[in-house]
Amino acid sequence: MSGQPIRAAGALSILAMVAACSGKGGDPAKQYGPDPYLPEASQYLLPPMSVPKAVGWKAGETPSVPAGMHIQAMATGLMHPRIVYPLPNGDVLVVESNSPGTKPFRPKDYIQGKVKARAGAADKGGNRITLLRDANGDGTPELRTILVDHLHSPYGVAWVAGTLYVANTDAIIAFPFTPGQTRITAPGTKLTDLPAGPIDHHWTKSMVASPDGSKLYVGVGSNSNITENGMDVEEGRAAIYEVDRLTGAKRIYATGTRNPTNLAIQPGTGQLFAVVNERDEIGPDLVPDYLSSIKEGGFYGWPYSYWGQHVDERVHPQKPDMVAKAIKPDYGLSSHVAALGVTFSQSETLSPQFADGAFVGEHGSWDRDPLNGYQVIFVPFVNGRPNGAPIPVVTDFLASDKKTVRGRPVGVALDRTGALIVADDVGNTVWRVSRAAGR
Amino acid sequence: MPLALDAGRLREDRMATPTGPGRISRPFHPFFVSLGGALLMAALFTDFMYSSNSLMQWANFSAWLITGGLVLALISAIVLVIDIALGRVGPIRWLDFGLLAIAAVLSIVNVFIHTRDAWTSVVPSGITLSAIVTILLAVAGLRGWCVTAIRFAGRGDVE
Repeated sequence: MSGQPIRAAGALSILAMVAACSGKGGDPAKQYGPDPYLPEASQYLLPPMSVPKAVGWKAGETPSVPAGMHIQAMATGLMHPRIVYPLPNGDVLVVESNSPGTKPFRPKDYIQGKVKARAGAADKGGNRITLLRDANGDGTPELRTILVDHLHSPYGVAWVAGTLYVANTDAIIAFPFTPGQTRITAPGTKLTDLPAGPIDHHWTKSMVASPDGSKLYVGVGSNSNITENGMDVEEGRAAIYEVDRLTGAKRIYATGTRNPTNLAIQPGTGQLFAVVNERDEIGPDLVPDYLSSIKEGGFYGWPYSYWGQHVDERVHPQKPDMVAKAIKPDYGLSSHVAALGVTFSQSETLSPQFADGAFVGEHGSWDRDPLNGYQVIFVPFVNGRPNGAPIPVVTDFLASDKKTVRGRPVGVALDRTGALIVADDVGNTVWRVSRAAGR
Repeated sequence: MPLALDAGRLREDRMATPTGPGRISRPFHPFFVSLGGALLMAALFTDFMYSSNSLMQWANFSAWLITGGLVLALISAIVLVIDIALGRVGPIRWLDFGLLAIAAVLSIVNVFIHTRDAWTSVVPSGITLSAIVTILLAVAGLRGWCVTAIRFAGRGDVE
């Protein structure tokens, strides 16, 4: 009987040990580039959760930008803005949206949902697209209208040849639309269905048009972190689709991309690039999210492996033949940054150092201590490939105490003047970064 | 099963003298302990099913069963305190108490292991803990799901 307390104490100390070995994340700089440092995978006892409390921006507060640049709020009081999309005439579309809602499967889902809500992830989306018109290019729109309303968790938008395509979470909807219009009254027509409910874990459907406008590429995220909702619900997910713009016929273009949260076409080459959010809960430094060119027919590992052939033992049954095929992504952005936006720079409009590369909006981590992301970075390119350490562009979304967050960047785009437009879904603001006056 | 026989004898005594100094006080907590124990033991079965067919719903069942078992363990502890406060029970039987306490602590570890995603939420550590917990609970269950001696008013406590 005297053995009982000792055994109980033993069990408790095992608990403490396992909890302790989850540890703190290392320097994100070790995970930038084509060959990020990848530590051994660890299995947590307590699910990792570390989120700052969302507080929003006080009057006059803004994120920080490098010297020589100027940042201003282009629109405030939006409903969870996610994507910004400049039209050829200079108008900027703002997609206001959030998850359609996921039903809990396990006790864990209730708790995790509550924790993420603290950082503003559960705020209601507008399910609409707002149009901002800034005809004189001073960053203060003269006109703000709701272009189209009552959408179903929209995310990607693309305008091609008199038609505005909106990627709702369950379908691409086509609206007849001519830039200059401030209100769409015509009902949309469905171009094609997209994988959605009943779970729809990663609900965003990113979208970009091919250079010739004949195809739409659509990013569809996985239905789980790492197949914990079952393999059957992953059919057709964690993939990038190619949709024929006129017929709606679609095929899978690339697979194994866990959550391809945004897509962009590289100017000049026409190459499709994606930012992809990788898996959680095997350590604060696993797995790096990435920016990569996407090869037609390519398989990028999820769920069986990551960063090439690193097997994820949480997936069962394993598929060694798929692991062998997994492509190593081009460029690590470091772990859990939650890259949600990507756009290529077009010229030296902001600064000479931003002439060739891509801007990436990092929404910020929810399961890593210390926090990572919460900024817009610039990834420099050399000879058409990402090369070199990223440069922070828009920072200080986190308050200086790192315990509260004022905003979280999502979609990024360059407007016709070359200014960088950033959607902020916690600050409910659209920010505009331009070259400072007199430069 | 000496204990069951004792209980039978006690019941006869009670029927013979339904009121007065000879009556026994029956504790409330074994009901809740047995309910919680059944849920925790069922998790071994659902863990086994997941480990053999990889269908996630079985692992989801395990997570819910262990969570439910732990909620009932908490309720059992509260009811045990009530039993003691009402003077319905004799002294704590430390072997039974220890078996159940260790099973509860291991199940707390196990419920966290079951928050992992997919295969490693069950194999190997989750199902191992479920098996150990099931063995501990089987012993405690066969001993009557009762962590106290029966108070037999007027004649002292029955171990």
